[in-house]
Amino acid sequence: MSIGGSDLDRAITQLRACRPIPENQVRELCYKARELLIEEGNVVGVDAPVTICGDIHGQFHDLMELFRVGGDVPDTNYLFMGDFVDRGFYSLESFLLLLCLKVRYPDRITLIRGNHESRQITTVYGFYDECLRKYGSANVWRYCCEVFDYLALGALVTGAATSLTPTDGPIAENINIDIPDVDCDIEIETLNAQGEIMYRYARNSDSQSSAASQANSNPASSSPIAPPTPSLAGVTGTGATSSANGSTRNDTGAILCVHGGLSPLIDTIDKIRLLDRKQEVPHEGAMCDLLWSDPDEIDGWGLSPRGAGFLFGADIVKCFNHKNDLSLIARAHQLVMEGFKEMFESTIVTVWSAPNYCYRCGNVAAILELGEDGSNGGFVRRSNGDRGGGGGGWVLGSNAGPNGTGENRRLSSVLGDSMQRTRDGPGRRYRVFEAAPQDSRGMPAKKPVADYFL
Amino acid sequence: MMSSLNGAPLDTHAPGHEDTSITKNGFKITTRKLPILKAGPIEEMTTKLGIAPPEMIFGDNFVRIEHAASGWRIEFNAFDALDRVDKTGDSMLKVSYSKEWQQNRQKQFEDIKEVVKPFDWSYSTDYKGSTAESPAFQSTDTPIPLALLKRPDPIQFFDDVMLYEDELADNGIAMLSCKIRVMPARLLLLTRFFMRLDDVLFRIRDTRVFVEFATGEVIREYTAREEKYEVVRKVLAGTKEDVLALMRDPNRLAEYIPVVGKTLEKVVLK
Repeated sequence: MSIGGSDLDRAITQLRACRPIPENQVRELCYKARELLIEEGNVVGVDAPVTICGDIHGQFHDLMELFRVGGDVPDTNYLFMGDFVDRGFYSLESFLLLLCLKVRYPDRITLIRGNHESRQITTVYGFYDECLRKYGSANVWRYCCEVFDYLALGALVTGAATSLTPTDGPIAENINIDIPDVDCDIEIETLNAQGEIMYRYARNSDSQSSAASQANSNPASSSPIAPPTPSLAGVTGTGATSSANGSTRNDTGAILCVHGGLSPLIDTIDKIRLLDRKQEVPHEGAMCDLLWSDPDEIDGWGLSPRGAGFLFGADIVKCFNHKNDLSLIARAHQLVMEGFKEMFESTIVTVWSAPNYCYRCGNVAAILELGEDGSNGGFVRRSNGDRGGGGGGWVLGSNAGPNGTGENRRLSSVLGDSMQRTRDGPGRRYRVFEAAPQDSRGMPAKKPVADYFL
Repeated sequence: MMSSLNGAPLDTHAPGHEDTSITKNGFKITTRKLPILKAGPIEEMTTKLGIAPPEMIFGDNFVRIEHAASGWRIEFNAFDALDRVDKTGDSMLKVSYSKEWQQNRQKQFEDIKEVVKPFDWSYSTDYKGSTAESPAFQSTDTPIPLALLKRPDPIQFFDDVMLYEDELADNGIAMLSCKIRVMPARLLLLTRFFMRLDDVLFRIRDTRVFVEFATGEVIREYTAREEKYEVVRKVLAGTKEDVLALMRDPNRLAEYIPVVGKTLEKVVLK
């Protein structure tokens, strides 16, 4: 049988109910997915608006919560930065659902590879065992691993707005700091799962602030469920919102999304494009670094004390961003209690989307929404001459960037004098959410069962 | 409610509980289970410890046994356990593919040599609990009376408290957790450090504390087990069981990993 059209919709419905689809459908789905992914470059071009998500780790019910909070596919354009599988109990359903959505709505969901999308790691951390348990054979695991080899290594988001259109949602309770006026140039906004404002930061202002509790007289806040997409409508660039948004401020650079981080072998995005990615994640080399490395409070590059893997400091990020005309690197890979963590003067952010990780950490999760810069109509892509001295233009979807290395060298020497950000970061809206209610995911009770251990 | 630097909330609704306790014959047993630490407290702990804490750090959790009459107490918490982790890098392990990785790297990046903040990142600790200075434990030959603990006496209080856990960047697992069960006449506490560095090493370090309420007798037994990964794997391969599952289960693994160190101590509280 073939999986397509209504079959695909049926599979999506079944997976949304957290029920695995038959093995022959998985084979068909994986085949279709591979045909689609093979056409993608190592670095996928993505237009804002987009919602960027971090690790999922088989926490299916929390993925459903993510879609409730962030909006459904295809209404919301999603970018998942890998680590779909392992750890959680529903890696299979989570990954297959994302894959079905990818095949059904290829332009509305982007999947890039995490270090867990690998044969070796999945045999140790749960996905292999889960497939064996649910199907009685390793076939499904094998089909999925073949898809892993075709996943892109990164994504490049362009056309993001510098400022957010402020959410007109109510202000969260128990917030006792004033929030900046909505007329300000809003750079960061943090919302809870109900769409209530927890925090708002105006660009170039020194004071960070949160919503005031006394302002919480809005009756809408009593509604436990936020409408998933309407609150985003302001950002998605109608003519009206883009002018209210201040359409002159459209000079943010692109945003590179990658699972782990940078590599000393990679100084331009074009070098990522040249890698041969269609293989198992190697133990060393640029591809390995992109999926494994971590930012750290160090100068330059460092070696992990574990004896393998790189750490990179603020100077590396700032130099890379400058050279490649980026305003931000979004990555996942590391658990952060608050769901997201900006580092190095907001030149890099870690996004983590698995709440109550491993069902016991008690952390919240976050997704990052980037609005659309209304002035480019969401269609016209950036060109080289967009801003003097940027020099990091590229043609999306092409593996050969137009900028010569000579210019890059010049830029990095200029950068050496002052490690300043030349690009304003995109407006960033973080939606923070907690784990799906316990009773909805059929999990064992939290209370430990007494046993006669010795 | 305060807001952290990046605007995320500092408090979250999370699993766990505030203190729960039970008192038996003047012994008060208390446990606390809260979520992992947030960014602020993690930074504070990093400064105090001088090393980066594990990825999952349950810094608020503890298990405590107190005897008010004598002023004796023993507590198990993550900070004190981590304070006993080697912070110099002298006993640092390497992941299995380190050599291969290093060799390839050295050719290309001779300038990147510095190992960032070397320390024992496996978080191996010989922590036996934090105790009051007096009355102090004395070395003894009296073993924990296993026969009494094998009886199915009713368990009146039970808890299983995680102190820390780290996935060793997907090279295995290191975890320190503490279980306690209180029966009408006695209690048993087990704090276990379990570490599996894939293709390199297994470690299990158990601290058991036994209290006989009527006599005030407290016995503490520390057992360290260690074996090379490959040796254990070969033995397990002969069991016809799921080897990967066994390797995740320290309860089952213990019998395959030889004891490399043991101490037995006792104190009698009046």
